[in-house]
Amino acid sequence: MKNKHIISSKIIIITIMMMTVNISCEQDVIKNPKATIEINKDKLNINESLQIVFTGEADQVVIFTGDDMHNYDLRKESNTGFVVDKNVFTYSYATPGTYKVVCIASTYGDAAVNLQFDTCAVVITVIDDQTEIDRLSCPQILYDEVFAERLANDNWIMRLPRKVRYNNLTPSIALSQRLKFYVQSDSTQFFINGNAFESTKKYDLSSTVNIDVKSHFGTVRPYTLHTLYYPEFESFKMLGVNGKLKRTEFDYSSFELEITLPNGTDVSHVIPEFKTYAATDKIYINDVEQISTVTAVDFTHNVTYKIVSFLAGNSDIQAIGTVKIKIIYQ
Amino acid sequence: MNNNRLNFIWILLIGLLVSLGGCDDFLTKEVLGNSTDENFFDTKYKLQAALNASYDVLQMDLFNECEWRFGEACADDVWGGDEGLGSQMGQLVHFRFNTSNEWIRNRYDINYKGIHRANQVIANVNRVKLSIYDYNSYREIREILGQAKFLRALYYFNLVKTYGGVPIRQETETVDNLVIPRSTAEEVYAYIEKDLREAAIMLPARYVGNDAGKADEGAAVALLMKVLMYQAIPGEKSEKWEEIVRLGEFFVDGTPLTFGEILKFDNTVETWEALRKRLWFQPQEEIQPSDPYETDNTLLNPLHNAYSIEYKDYYGNSISYVEQFFQIGEFCKGSVFEVVFKESADGSGGDENEGTPIYTNHYSTSPQIWSTDAIIQEIFSSDARRSFMIGHQQYAPDGEIAQTGPGRHFSLKWYTPIKDRPQYGGDNGKNRRLIRYAEVILMYAEALNECGKGDLALIKLNFLKSQANKIDNSSNLYVGGGYGYMRDQIWKERRIELCYEWDRFFDLVRQGRAAEVIKIYGAKRANKRGYYFRKGINELFPIPQSEIDISNGIVVQNPGY
Repeated sequence: MKNKHIISSKIIIITIMMMTVNISCEQDVIKNPKATIEINKDKLNINESLQIVFTGEADQVVIFTGDDMHNYDLRKESNTGFVVDKNVFTYSYATPGTYKVVCIASTYGDAAVNLQFDTCAVVITVIDDQTEIDRLSCPQILYDEVFAERLANDNWIMRLPRKVRYNNLTPSIALSQRLKFYVQSDSTQFFINGNAFESTKKYDLSSTVNIDVKSHFGTVRPYTLHTLYYPEFESFKMLGVNGKLKRTEFDYSSFELEITLPNGTDVSHVIPEFKTYAATDKIYINDVEQISTVTAVDFTHNVTYKIVSFLAGNSDIQAIGTVKIKIIYQ
Repeated sequence: MNNNRLNFIWILLIGLLVSLGGCDDFLTKEVLGNSTDENFFDTKYKLQAALNASYDVLQMDLFNECEWRFGEACADDVWGGDEGLGSQMGQLVHFRFNTSNEWIRNRYDINYKGIHRANQVIANVNRVKLSIYDYNSYREIREILGQAKFLRALYYFNLVKTYGGVPIRQETETVDNLVIPRSTAEEVYAYIEKDLREAAIMLPARYVGNDAGKADEGAAVALLMKVLMYQAIPGEKSEKWEEIVRLGEFFVDGTPLTFGEILKFDNTVETWEALRKRLWFQPQEEIQPSDPYETDNTLLNPLHNAYSIEYKDYYGNSISYVEQFFQIGEFCKGSVFEVVFKESADGSGGDENEGTPIYTNHYSTSPQIWSTDAIIQEIFSSDARRSFMIGHQQYAPDGEIAQTGPGRHFSLKWYTPIKDRPQYGGDNGKNRRLIRYAEVILMYAEALNECGKGDLALIKLNFLKSQANKIDNSSNLYVGGGYGYMRDQIWKERRIELCYEWDRFFDLVRQGRAAEVIKIYGAKRANKRGYYFRKGINELFPIPQSEIDISNGIVVQNPGY
């Protein structure tokens, strides 16, 4: 009886071992890969999200997006794809064009042997219809970059200093300047007064500049750029003495005008004589218009002139300068 | 089946039911002798332990790994040893990653870990039972709470500048609120600001002695300035710039600032007394005649004498520029907040000397990132701080020969002098400087320029530059100019002074020129690393794909991903 038990136990053990051996001897069955994908849209704008959902069968999925460095046809020339995680891959394109998106579904056995793969492809069209100017500047006002202000109806106003103070020098600033555009897309083209824009060319800003912004898609949007100098006194004289205009490095619209007078000069009722660069400029003290050789001013108090320059034909487009009068008694 | 057997089965079943009923009591029995989340936070010591756990995240290698990988390696001041498109890191710095990138996941996770731990302190502070209801007892709890708020703000700031608006986790997590939709970036910034404003009035001006290294008022105000700066847009007037100026006047110039001002206190939202109780100021009814009573007109502790741009150690002794970053310069006059590396906070010996790997990994014969001659020339030109870069087989200040590899240069900010290197289990690693006073000055200068005060901005800028000039007795100063010129000079000084402190990428993004700078940098490289930066997309990284997946669409991905 005891021997019978031992024999039956051995039979059980041997059976289990054989089953185990049989299991480990089982051929590594590799599934056939199937490459199928679904995309959320096939026409996109630049930077718009493309979602690719893998719906096939695979151990590993790779997507070649078709743009620079990810072109499936150039995969032997260092172009690479993206490994898809959990069957979802999202992407966006920075440049417009037509792209062949290739999905590679692969299966393999243990130790990555017996690799099998399947591919599928879809074509994506990416358009770029960007015509929006974010910012516009004159990038080289001596060492400074001066930005234009956006106005209504795609009008921009550039306000420039007539002179700048830099390291105790005061070089003049011409109305012939380079321009710089800040836009979202590198594919956007610019035309200045009908000619292709060149970043190193100086443009005449003394009259209104017509700017056409053309998107890669073909949409053309017109803008206008107006330019005014910050107004300042060309000359200022009181009691027969010429004032000396002083400017600051930091603020092109603020000035100080120094006048040296003899000690004891009565400045309580003085009619100054002044001139600005544009005949249409308006000059104010506390919102009261000042007329040269006509309006009397009490200079015993701090006096600050406000000078307003207008764009010819459009008084809403302005540049404003302020001049603080400083009297020095000697 | 006979009756006896049937009866036996019935008795057995009934007995089983009775015994199961008894199990219910056993299962719901109160746990004695162990801490639970219900009773753990009953003393200030336990609350402090919870706060330490929140600080611990700052010390973790993974936190700091993510800091340099995003803040430094993604920008234009370094090359890297791992730039192949086959690796997750290579894909990251090429901006050719997918939304499942492991580093994008890691940074998200590690900062939420810090937030979760800070939330433990903040949510449970009201469980603390005071033994004495005096001013100091309230102050001690208030300071713990204030530090937790600072840390939570810091972790959220890391998230919002990396991913944009993120989910604001509830302070008390339950299984019902695990999935939370994203808040907008504006909402996250408002949440951060509130924490920092409150931390500023809750904390002492500067911790000293054994407390040095804790987040204090200086850290809170400096981080608030930075958080405001990240919301402001260069070239656009805003209240954010104006408030940075106001905070700069307080921090740097010593202009007084009240509790009410920094809080933007509005008594239609919350009464002052309710705010006092919430932030653990001693309730009015318990105040003794000798105790101070803080009002919204109470002045913040002044900071202008607590810090200095001079290169001086904690005790006020002169040190060199680069020693500010060594152990001798820990908590020096120019350091506002540091990650304090100590022995592993969990007490285990397995991860000794936290912080050491992040420096030794950079400063090694096979570095992960390094600089080049061309980059150094671009950053420093003739500035004296150039001398704190070190090249192959050049000598460190303590005489050690650098084996960087030909053509590679390191910043000595990464260097740990031989005598500072931890040798034993209990030795400290070198602290990492997270916020420095120099940056406070630069933020102040930038905001002044943005507010049309270029003349004052120049004074602050040259205040800093004059100190750097002492390194080689130079007399080069910045020169006055219009807004754009001043802005460029300030950004230039930021790059020189703050270089290799792992913040360059985020600085470029908030300046609005990351695409321009990084693409130019990428175009110069043989492997075009950075050239594929997508303007309007890569300024933010994607929310990790796993977060999108597990939220079942509630957490929405960033545009372009």
